Amino acid sequence: MSDTLLDGGTLAEGCHPTTEINATVNGRKVQRTVPNHYRVIDFVREELKLTGNKEGCGAGECGTCSMFVDGKLIKSCLAPVQKINGCSVETIDDLDRDAGMSLLQQAFHKSGASQCGYCIPGMVMAATSTLRRNPGASRDEIKEGLGGNICRCTGYQKILDAVELARDIQSGAIPASALEEDAEAHSFIGQRTRRLDAPAKVTGAIKYAADMFMPNMLHMQVVRSPHPHARIVRIDAEAARAIPGVECILTCDDVPGVDNFGVFIEDQPTLARGVVRYVGEAVVAVAAETLDIARAAVAAIHVEYEKLPSLFDPHAAMQHGVVQLHAFAQNNICKHTRIRKGDVDAALATADVIVEQTYDTQSIEHAYLEPEAGLAYLEADGCVTVQSPSQNITHHRHMLARILGRPINKVRMIMSTVGGGFGGKEDMIYQGMLALAAIKTRRPVRYVFTREESIKVSAKRHPFNIRYTMGLKRDGRIVATKMVMVADGGAYALSTPGVMNKSAILGPGPYDIANVWVDSIGVYTNNTPSGAFRAFGAFQSEFATECHLDLCAQHLGMDPVALRRINLMRDGATTHTRQQLDRVLAVECLEAAIKAAGWEPGVPYRQGQGSPQRNDFNYEGSRQSYLIGGQTQPLVPRAASRSDMHPV
Amino acid sequence: MLTFDHYLTPKSLDEAFDVLQRMPAARLLAGATDLLPWAREGRAGDVHLPAVVDLSRIAALGGISQEGARIRIGATTPISALQRHPLLMQQAPVLGACALWFADDQIREQATVGGNLVNASPAGDTQPALLALNTHVTLVRREGGRLIERSVPLSEFILGPSRTMLQPGEILLRLEFDALPNHGVAFEKVGHRRSLAISTVCLATLVHLDAGKRIDDLRIAIGAVGPVPERLTDIEDLLTGVTPTSAALRDASVRVADRVRSRSRQSYRREVLSNFVERSLAAAIAHAGLDVPRIPKESQIV
Repeated sequence: MSDTLLDGGTLAEGCHPTTEINATVNGRKVQRTVPNHYRVIDFVREELKLTGNKEGCGAGECGTCSMFVDGKLIKSCLAPVQKINGCSVETIDDLDRDAGMSLLQQAFHKSGASQCGYCIPGMVMAATSTLRRNPGASRDEIKEGLGGNICRCTGYQKILDAVELARDIQSGAIPASALEEDAEAHSFIGQRTRRLDAPAKVTGAIKYAADMFMPNMLHMQVVRSPHPHARIVRIDAEAARAIPGVECILTCDDVPGVDNFGVFIEDQPTLARGVVRYVGEAVVAVAAETLDIARAAVAAIHVEYEKLPSLFDPHAAMQHGVVQLHAFAQNNICKHTRIRKGDVDAALATADVIVEQTYDTQSIEHAYLEPEAGLAYLEADGCVTVQSPSQNITHHRHMLARILGRPINKVRMIMSTVGGGFGGKEDMIYQGMLALAAIKTRRPVRYVFTREESIKVSAKRHPFNIRYTMGLKRDGRIVATKMVMVADGGAYALSTPGVMNKSAILGPGPYDIANVWVDSIGVYTNNTPSGAFRAFGAFQSEFATECHLDLCAQHLGMDPVALRRINLMRDGATTHTRQQLDRVLAVECLEAAIKAAGWEPGVPYRQGQGSPQRNDFNYEGSRQSYLIGGQTQPLVPRAASRSDMHPV
Repeated sequence: MLTFDHYLTPKSLDEAFDVLQRMPAARLLAGATDLLPWAREGRAGDVHLPAVVDLSRIAALGGISQEGARIRIGATTPISALQRHPLLMQQAPVLGACALWFADDQIREQATVGGNLVNASPAGDTQPALLALNTHVTLVRREGGRLIERSVPLSEFILGPSRTMLQPGEILLRLEFDALPNHGVAFEKVGHRRSLAISTVCLATLVHLDAGKRIDDLRIAIGAVGPVPERLTDIEDLLTGVTPTSAALRDASVRVADRVRSRSRQSYRREVLSNFVERSLAAAIAHAGLDVPRIPKESQIV
């Protein structure tokens, strides 16, 4: 029963007792000695270098680490490595038994059931488990079997289609030829074309940054600010420097060049320079022989802070007399975009109805399945190379060259496979530290964020506060729109200027309005920086616009679709920024959408009155709430099913 | 991150007690599915323990059997067994219904029934169903070289959030509960999503009808709406001996709203609990062979 015991001796900082693991992995015997705190996912990925299965959250929530242990699918991030002693483990890496792709993997390929691909190994494992246990699983049962696996790109439908396809081929209901690529037509448009990278993704063969290893590679960890706004008084890294295996400790003083980065405004240092402006800001970076040693070094670094007043509300941050977060940004305003078209005040005076409302949207995390990761190394010719899932490598390369004080030809950025980005990987928040550490140590350095670190540190969708005023005629014609939007940009600019522009340009919507007034103001605060996120600001402003039109329809007693139909831009319309459009298909688009949706015309407040909204009374709800034996069965009345067994 | 000096995997209770004697601060684990996420940033952070003791390979903590009118299951029985073990499917189907809503397919293979009780989370999904089955838990300790067992009702075992009667040096050995193959059952749960959701409200209902279609045994237990799960004994008493009608179910549902003692989302929980009581009664009674339609409710649109 014994583990390697630690009786008497002591271990160096960052070293842990070890344990010997004997198991069968993908049909091969393995015997390895690893730190005793390893989880099964650490053993498989870091020790055996089987990187097909991923670690997306480390808390059992996402399913990227799903693998079989003695035939049972488990979350390997929730299992201490000792649990597999004497057991047989199957990972995605050899699921096909060296026979090309398994039927399920082929079905995923055919169905287009992979996008970023980071969740797909786990999805394939969960699907394999589901069909092994229940070869005739219904779509609902497949959903249940995949319930522990999260995907952020595909919307799940193609994944479910793929599992159903595999099920039906397995049962013989559909011929195996259904897996073949559709015949080529004249055009790719409207054709189902298989994705080129799908085979690599469904088998786990493709390498994301965290899957890369290099000989002699170091591991990075980062000391981050616990304060939203503070002056750095002193950094004491002596104890950390004394730990064997700590190869380099970086602060802002180690940056040789012009130390700023940002998508539009370069206002963020690679490592905090004298002051921290948000919780999670990088202060000190460590590269060490092992991840454990790097973690121990981070714990041993003491940073003394002097807390400063913090700003959390963008409206308050614009007031006179409050603390200024950046010297160049007066009143903490990062970007103010204005649109002025026509005369809004005069037009509002002619309106029959003026509708005012305020809308707030919240900060949103991208939650791509792949946490940030990167690998940096020096080429023999001295060129520093960073591999990372950067969504903007050319701009990153130019910024990094300036930060490092090097010519551009001595800096190389390679975009590793991106495990989901949605805009959240446009910011160069860690590549600079990696490049510096590689240059300092002349060794490859890898840095992999935890899920918690990713959420704490990476950009968020801007929270907006939108004050809306709209004037309309009784017939529904909009005469004037006024939107005053204040967005929380957080501590650094990142994409704030672009987001403000786009929220303003697209905010008033595809409607022909003669008089438009838009203010879109991005403000610095001590919150987590806001940045790019799908739709880049238009999501927030158009959300307000569409809500507001529904509200106006209610005030006017009109069908909301009819209100939009009256106001939509048509051929020859002028946009809010005075661009002349020739052809506009907005009305056709609306008609197609309402036809597809089965829209029932009426005033908004009428919806839900008179006819029942729910039909689940006395039923089990939209999903079966009752399942036994791994199969969904309708709840058969007891008396009917067993009256012969238990005569009453 | 969870670190420790020793990870020990005893094969017998005696070996386990040997470890506890040597290292009283050792932490017991079975499935580990709660322990590992707990030791992460934002919760307990980095945690170092002198030792962890993995109980999952002790045969005495496993096993599923019937002893007369009671079922015995070992503390390290995985949640998935509640869904798939033939004896449990037949004798205590409410556990299968509850297991379906527990975490996800994979964690159900890892997490154990005993772990879900010892953690004593107010939202522990197995607790209401086990309470409704009149579960007793058996705890074992070693004194003077002898193993000493004591049995306590589950209703007394859980004292509050994360607090139980389990003493240091004591191990949860097994559970014993009623075999109720002829009861109609229903389990209700709502959380943020279908899988991996922490219950906002959960509830288990078991009902038995006599030959005259009168309720002669009713057990309803609720969870996630207060510090500990509890039986709705007043509703049980109210409806026992009664031929259930639509009006009786509605009346019962109205009476339960004030049982919500959670600190958050109270009005939501009250409405859901009330609806769950009515819907689960209707479903369990239907399962037992009598259709009692629910009285439609007006949608409340402001």
